[in-house]
Amino acid sequence: MQVVKTMLQQSAFGAPGADSNPIVVEGLSKTYQVTDREGGFGAAVRSFVKRKFRDVKAVQNVSFRIGQGEIVGFLGPNGAGKTTTLKMLAGLLHPTSGSAKVLGFTPWERNSGYLRSMTLVMGQRNRLSWDIPAADSFLLNQAIYRISDADYKRVFDELNELLDLAPIIRKPVRNLSLGERMKCELAASLLHRPAVLFLDEPTIGLDISAQVRIRAFLKEYNRRSGATILLTSHYMADVTALCERIIIIHHGQTKYDGKLVDLSRRIAPFKLIGVTLGDCADCDLSRYGTVVPGEGSEDAGKHSVQVKADEVAAITARMLAELPVVDLTIEDPPIEDVIERAFHE
Amino acid sequence: MFAIYKRLWLVNWAEQWQYRANLLMYLAFWLVSPIVYLAVWTTIANAQGSINGFTAPDFVAYYMMLLIVDIATSDITIHIFGYKIMDGSLSNELILPIHPVLMKVLVNNLAFKALQMMALAPIWLILYVLYQPVFAITVTHVLLAIPAIALGFMLQFFAGATITCIAFWTTRVWSISDFYSNIFRLLAGQFVPLALLPAFMQSASQVLPFRLALYFPVQLLLGKLSLEETLLDLGLQVVWCVILFVLFRLVWRAGLKKYAAVGA
Repeated sequence: MQVVKTMLQQSAFGAPGADSNPIVVEGLSKTYQVTDREGGFGAAVRSFVKRKFRDVKAVQNVSFRIGQGEIVGFLGPNGAGKTTTLKMLAGLLHPTSGSAKVLGFTPWERNSGYLRSMTLVMGQRNRLSWDIPAADSFLLNQAIYRISDADYKRVFDELNELLDLAPIIRKPVRNLSLGERMKCELAASLLHRPAVLFLDEPTIGLDISAQVRIRAFLKEYNRRSGATILLTSHYMADVTALCERIIIIHHGQTKYDGKLVDLSRRIAPFKLIGVTLGDCADCDLSRYGTVVPGEGSEDAGKHSVQVKADEVAAITARMLAELPVVDLTIEDPPIEDVIERAFHE
Repeated sequence: MFAIYKRLWLVNWAEQWQYRANLLMYLAFWLVSPIVYLAVWTTIANAQGSINGFTAPDFVAYYMMLLIVDIATSDITIHIFGYKIMDGSLSNELILPIHPVLMKVLVNNLAFKALQMMALAPIWLILYVLYQPVFAITVTHVLLAIPAIALGFMLQFFAGATITCIAFWTTRVWSISDFYSNIFRLLAGQFVPLALLPAFMQSASQVLPFRLALYFPVQLLLGKLSLEETLLDLGLQVVWCVILFVLFRLVWRAGLKKYAAVGA
């Protein structure tokens, strides 16, 4: 793997005028012009004669920097501008204004040196040819990225070790399961050892065990290669497993850029105390904090109480003294709730 | 660079063979029109003796040669590329460090041509036995026809690629493409040899590049052109190729700025 790392550094980080941060985004904006019409036959005819356009500001003045080897989660609700930003950084879209440098290149100039150093994986898209086995697409990528036979073999063996590709790459891609296809997609996207990875929903639609495998793979790939990764996902498990840092975007604007743990502290400075009570018909838990409705667990005598983080110790002590506590746990609020709050703050 | 073309060819070749019925119908589609024109015009010429000096054997020789040249110079860019702009799957190709049109689509075109030629061979031999065409081909004609056919294809390829790029603005391009291909068929000499068209259409065909992609190589191979005429048309082919190539590059660059990468 040291070989891969060295090659990575040679191939990508030698780009002209590279900032020490592989990804630098300054005031990036993208406005789409979309046709605007109401439903119905009359509106359809009117729209044919005179078309009305509306500006949609998909991304507005977004700025961030990502350091080498970082894995950053790019989060936001549907339509927030995540994918548009990723597409601009991958060179697919021209921005309306602003600038970006990735590995020293302006992405939308689509310099082949840049395209050779990065990859974009979109969970719902495929870069594998549907009708032929993935192995053939891999060989095509070997030619396209001009990977020598020796390097190809080394990288393939390594990807095979991490993703267990051998049993599936001889089948036509159309006959693979979604999880198998995603493994092949990732492998095809990484054969050229990109220094920067843009991953758009890499685990979408996969079952839990496939998600876990892909996550473990990405983490290991990052550890071994030192590649920089920017990923979007609606699965918080992806984010908590992979990203120390997150950037939250909503309505095209950056809402938060920092550590995931700091977000919890800032947005949701509270903890959940889970208590299981013994025989206690008239215990009033609302004296200690906000009782959070559980999911049928009251039957078993378990309740959740939300309290301020700095009062946890005192309240726990009071509960233990005043209530017939059988069991007690202290937990952070679910990350989904924290992120959801952050979106709307 | 050669390795990329080779791999693209192998992949595309494998893809094309995957759907046998579909492939056969496509190949048949390509052969139907010229064979119909061949049958219709020879029947009419036989009945009337000749049409404006064209006898039945003239039509036979013309269409038998056109069958080959048409496949060699035709372009299917719009069919392999138009929908990718429309549905956003072009994104998958734009992230690769090769030109989606000048490399991938070009190779797809050539691979399809190879298949078409394979399908044409037996049909052409049957037609040869049935119609017994008389050709007066010399080695010089063949040597001159090689660049003429190559340039004829490049000309159609750049024109087709430019028209396909209109999809960046209009999303759908089928109607524009159908309109273009009908004009092409008329002014390139597929419906009828250009010498039989009304005068104003003949003038139009002289000014426009279409005839250079089909009629010119056919006439060259039939031995109807002098060396001066041949060299002049070869020169015109080069000029049109350059013009259409530059036009394609401009439209492509402007189109990419407009590209919305829809989906996903």
